[in-house]
Amino acid sequence: MLMISPRMASGMQEKQYAPSLLSFFIYNPKFGPREGEEEKKILFYHPIEIEKNEKIRNVGLCEAIVQFTRTFCPTKPARSLHTQKNRQFFHEPEENYWMVMVVRNPMVEKPNKDGKPPTAEYQEEEIIDSVYGSVLKQCYSMYKLFNGTFIRAFEAGGVELLTQKLEKFFYRYLQTLHLQSCDLLDVFGGISFFPLDKMTYLKIQSFVNRVEESLSLVKYTAFLYNDQLIWSGLEQDDMRILYKYLTTSLFPRHTEPELAGRDSPLRPEVAGNLLHYGRFLTGPANLKDPDAKFRFPKIFVNTEDSYEELHLIVYKAMSAAVCFMVNAAVDMSREFCEQLDSLVGPQLTLLASDICEQYNINRRISGPEKEPQFKFIYFNHMNLAEKSTIHMRKTASVSLTSVHPDLMKILGDINCDFARVDEDEEIIVKAMTDYWVVGKKSDQRELYVILNQKNANLIEVNEEVKRLCATQFNNIFFLD
Amino acid sequence: MHSSDNRGSWEFHPEDTLTEDTGNFPSTLAQVNFSGQKKAGSAVDVPGLAYRNEDIMSESWRKHRKHVFVLSEAGKPIYSRYGNEEALSSAMGVMMALVSFVQAGGNMIQSIFSDEHTVVFLQKGPLVFVSVSATRQSEQQLRSELLHVYHQIVSMLTQASINRIFERRKNFDLRRLLFGSEKVLDGLLDVMDSDPSFFLSAVQCLPLPSSSRDALSHILQKAITPDLVFSFLISNNRLVSVVQEKTVLEDARLKPSDLHLLFNLIRVSAFQAGEIWTPICLPLFNPDCYFYAYVAYLDPPECTVCLVLLSTDKEAFYAVAECKRKIEEAFASQNALQWVANTQLYYVNDIGVANLKHFLYKPSKVLDHYRQMPQFTCPEMEVGYRSQQERIRLLDLYRNMYNRIHCSSRPLKLIYHSAGKETLLAWVTSKFEMFACFTPLVTKKSAISELTKLLRWLKKEEDRLFICQLPRYSTALHPGRSSTDRPNTSDTGLFSLL
Repeated sequence: MLMISPRMASGMQEKQYAPSLLSFFIYNPKFGPREGEEEKKILFYHPIEIEKNEKIRNVGLCEAIVQFTRTFCPTKPARSLHTQKNRQFFHEPEENYWMVMVVRNPMVEKPNKDGKPPTAEYQEEEIIDSVYGSVLKQCYSMYKLFNGTFIRAFEAGGVELLTQKLEKFFYRYLQTLHLQSCDLLDVFGGISFFPLDKMTYLKIQSFVNRVEESLSLVKYTAFLYNDQLIWSGLEQDDMRILYKYLTTSLFPRHTEPELAGRDSPLRPEVAGNLLHYGRFLTGPANLKDPDAKFRFPKIFVNTEDSYEELHLIVYKAMSAAVCFMVNAAVDMSREFCEQLDSLVGPQLTLLASDICEQYNINRRISGPEKEPQFKFIYFNHMNLAEKSTIHMRKTASVSLTSVHPDLMKILGDINCDFARVDEDEEIIVKAMTDYWVVGKKSDQRELYVILNQKNANLIEVNEEVKRLCATQFNNIFFLD
Repeated sequence: MHSSDNRGSWEFHPEDTLTEDTGNFPSTLAQVNFSGQKKAGSAVDVPGLAYRNEDIMSESWRKHRKHVFVLSEAGKPIYSRYGNEEALSSAMGVMMALVSFVQAGGNMIQSIFSDEHTVVFLQKGPLVFVSVSATRQSEQQLRSELLHVYHQIVSMLTQASINRIFERRKNFDLRRLLFGSEKVLDGLLDVMDSDPSFFLSAVQCLPLPSSSRDALSHILQKAITPDLVFSFLISNNRLVSVVQEKTVLEDARLKPSDLHLLFNLIRVSAFQAGEIWTPICLPLFNPDCYFYAYVAYLDPPECTVCLVLLSTDKEAFYAVAECKRKIEEAFASQNALQWVANTQLYYVNDIGVANLKHFLYKPSKVLDHYRQMPQFTCPEMEVGYRSQQERIRLLDLYRNMYNRIHCSSRPLKLIYHSAGKETLLAWVTSKFEMFACFTPLVTKKSAISELTKLLRWLKKEEDRLFICQLPRYSTALHPGRSSTDRPNTSDTGLFSLL
């Protein structure tokens, strides 16, 4: 990705290149242990055009590096390799299966006079290992959500099945990676929770209970409103990757029609059902059509113990979305869908408008929503709750931040420092631009605040942050 | 009032200072028990020859805080901090293979990170340096430490020699020339961990009233001979006085890094009586030629005050020894050694700031031409930090902050870090760099007010804590010889004790 910044009046321009994906591959050394068999180790390689021997050499380098670091600590081998031009990240999600992501370092191309080729200046410090390491881990989690583990695929259909699945998934998924806008939130991989009063929360709980009782096939349910989670019956790690999929892939694909005007051709056919606004986001697009074929995406959860494969039914009414997960062995019939539609549709529609009303009442009580004063990011490791007033609406591709990227990197640095110890800590820094950044870690929670108060001193900054904590986080004790 | 000053045009000093010693001259480290006993998993390694033959397959070898390997471009082992480098030749072969492989792709390998270790690579000419460290220091700092190791090797052989040797024979075994010098590198690596001079790129001076210091410098200034370029007085690992030849000052300056190389060589040679006359190359000054260093203690057998005279003339031993005699005489007549002996190193308690436990202060301007010699000052360690392990832990914390505050892509002005065992503050302005350590529960208000008190005290004591002038002398150089262009490679860098 190229961004041009004008530099000299003479028209010679310095070109700034953001970090980008150079290659991505998956290998297992056990599949080709002997000389001459190296190609067999490679299970997936992007870009595919790379010449075979070069692929083998690149994989060989990774193996050598992992082996070398094992000399010093057998259980904790290499995580990343830094070179001048690029950075490689290593992840072993399952024993002997290695995933490697190679990112080209951001660089600046400075033009030279006299027709000499431009000099490239690489900016290695711009890439924070924890951020991109997390992105790589997430690649695996997403693959596993839709395909199960590597080992099971290999057991079911050998190398052929595994390579097929990898190819099918990663070919598309890699195109959705936007490495130039990864930041601290990728490290957290958190979930944004929708704030609710007790009454409404209980209504949602009892709705879920009722549905699960009536539709005994439903194993797990998750309830979201406005791209934020309210309730989930899934394990945390499964929910967090499902949440990412819903909010960055599924929901964005389906929002546009809803936002369209009443008479727009985009508006989905309220297929003869005037009783509710519910519809399927996965599965049957149009229940009225008896010949239309439909399919639900399959997901894999609890892969560490019970290893369940489920149909993912996502049903939406206005801003409320519910995920129903049914054992994949069950055949999803049209009757079942109709039953679900008639049961859930009206209830969910009512519930959605209830929530909306309650939310508006709450907002009116708490005062008009002014521009959030504080730019902060909050994350709770225990329930994965995440909140950011810095990131604007996350779209499928990019999440825009309202602060300079360098400040986000400073947050990343502070997060790395916090990760070194288990104790509660506080780090306050003043950047060269006179912005203050405050990081607080307390008992599994992390809070980062960015203050644009150039003339403030340390004590004043401290007071400001205390004020923020009192209003937004008054039930959490942060170090003073 | 406490808003940090604008740093203005902040300059990054890339020089890598070599340290001054910790402990007394000669370093207690060099005399330590050589049984090689070491606590398992400790942050500190006791140095000694025992490590020369350590079993590289053992758990304890793996668990060392920091490994340093030196090899040639041909993959031939030259040095390993722990373990016999010959036994490590295949591991070194792997390291070289990694370097070459990446190089073949038009790229350059820099480092490898894992949960517990950082591996950093540095190539200088035909030599390759690798550090495997469990310290979580930044890549930049680890690389600068490797650069010190390179410079220490250059100080013994000169860069020109090294390059020429390998040009002629790629397979040359440099150990032949470095035989017996492993302890120099061992000593350097040990001291780098526990002395802040390295990462600060500065020199620590002995606190002395400026009148006393001037008098001492005056004595040095008078005792000169042709081709003498530098005269140093060192005590308690701190610089007492340094006098330089006039034209030298104009050409180039002596960097702290070179000074520390010199100190390390002296310390490691662990002599007490008598004198040393040895060639030494000062790599940052001129990497291709030798100076000749005359080193003697002025107060045997206590050996706390050391005189170092650098000449460009190999044959000048007697002339330089004569200078020493003159200095000794002048010292005796003025009882100058007493001034040095009476010096009191200070503690934080002497300043009267209750919550402050330790600090490092590096002003940007003490000398008229401040870039002449960056200096810093710090108090003696409080009780809590007297053990080697605690001392290194504290310095690790300082190093981490230094790295963050001087990050080239996103530098900072101030860091305030409240942690379990202490509260740390790092502050860089155009006038100084300050790293301070407070008790963990100090309030921000107290910390700021104590810091202000500290800065005031430092300003008041500036004359005493720092060398504020670099006196000069003028010695006519022999015709046909100049310190900057005559590479003398006939010496192999062996010490001669006379």
